Amino acid sequence: MAMATRIGLAVLVLGLAAGAHAAGDVAKDEVQIFDLPAGARPHDVAPGPHGGVWYTAQRQGALGILDPATGEVVQVPLGDGSAPHGVIAGPDGAAWITDSGLNAIVRYDPATREVTRYPLPEDTGYANLNTAAFDGDGMLWFTGQNGIYGRLDPASGAMEVFDAPEGRGPYGITATPDGVIYYASLAGSHVAEVDTKTGEVRVLEPPTPDQGARRVWSDSQGNIWVSEWDSGQVSRYTPASGAWRSWKLPGDDPQAYAVYVDDQDIVWLSDFGANAVVRFDPKDERFTSFAGSDSGANVRQILGRPGEVWAPESALDRLMLIRTDG
Amino acid sequence: MSAMVALGATAAAPAAGAAADPQRGEVAFQKCYACHSVQPDETGLEGPNLAGVVGRTVASAPDFAYSNGLKALPARGYKTWTQAALDAFLTSPEDFAPGTSMTFVGMRSAVERADVIAYLASHDGRE
Repeated sequence: MAMATRIGLAVLVLGLAAGAHAAGDVAKDEVQIFDLPAGARPHDVAPGPHGGVWYTAQRQGALGILDPATGEVVQVPLGDGSAPHGVIAGPDGAAWITDSGLNAIVRYDPATREVTRYPLPEDTGYANLNTAAFDGDGMLWFTGQNGIYGRLDPASGAMEVFDAPEGRGPYGITATPDGVIYYASLAGSHVAEVDTKTGEVRVLEPPTPDQGARRVWSDSQGNIWVSEWDSGQVSRYTPASGAWRSWKLPGDDPQAYAVYVDDQDIVWLSDFGANAVVRFDPKDERFTSFAGSDSGANVRQILGRPGEVWAPESALDRLMLIRTDG
Repeated sequence: MSAMVALGATAAAPAAGAAADPQRGEVAFQKCYACHSVQPDETGLEGPNLAGVVGRTVASAPDFAYSNGLKALPARGYKTWTQAALDAFLTSPEDFAPGTSMTFVGMRSAVERADVIAYLASHDGRE
């Protein structure tokens, strides 16, 4: 059993093993819950500088900054019409935000507090911007669910947008340790490997048809882990061999939304069907579930840093922190 | 009274008396486009086909696996997608239909919601 603490209200969160390897498995990780401003609807989260944590307050058009040491929260407005979806920490120490409301990439500099917008080219139309990742050359790659992906050169501000194969669907995106970019297409039920030189993509078909690949993340070896919304599976693609392997999440009707692989190569997922964050250890293929802090938590993304896994409970206006042995 | 019931009562009112414009609604529908279509023969997306959704029985699109959140709506008094019900749903899907699989946080603008509903109403599934 894992003890959870929460700023302002103590909550007990159970970490229970589940699935075929349930017997005797009990989570030892500590869970802590942080309250955010009501109505923030945190969509994505990213550890930031000085121990802080960034989150996108999608409903309130702001970048949130949490100090986990005190629970203090500051929200930086991103402008009229903002509805930020994704946030990552860039190699420059800034927060890079995919803002679907503004149809723009937005940069927040924590040192100067300056907010800079990089609008999509006018002829792109509304892209429904989703998620971003930096490749090995420092280019920012991003996805738009309405059927585009693109890249931004942070040095020059130059931006290119490409039509995605099979149209609508590009969702989560990730970079391997070698800087290779992959994204998942939710509507297209595929994973795409991006040639970062030409901008062309190679479509990779997971073995389960219509699986609804929603997000992707790389492990330390460059293997790509995929959360499958419609199949309720997590799948692993091994680029060296082209091999796929899939595991069904525990429960009767899993819906795998988010996936993140931590620095110990432990795979973290969110499951809307079970209202849980799920830890998966590829070594023993064991799942461990952490219940949401209340019903319908709707964790849409997970990210972390050594010793910490962060999961925004988007429907509850809370952030969940799972402290690991990291 | 639960928050959910209170929201349902509020939803009985039309969308702020806005002059709905289906052409503006077509633009606003781009926020929905990734998962929904108004073309009757375009199915297999993440969300149900929306051709003819205005006035349609809730959770009734064929060959779509609805969430428990949507399937619970008729028992709560929302048997059909009236414009008021759609307005409430689009305002905050998770508040209106807890447990919905729709991963959209909602539209803050009453005018934008009215425009989208007008656009949906202009696609009755018979075109």
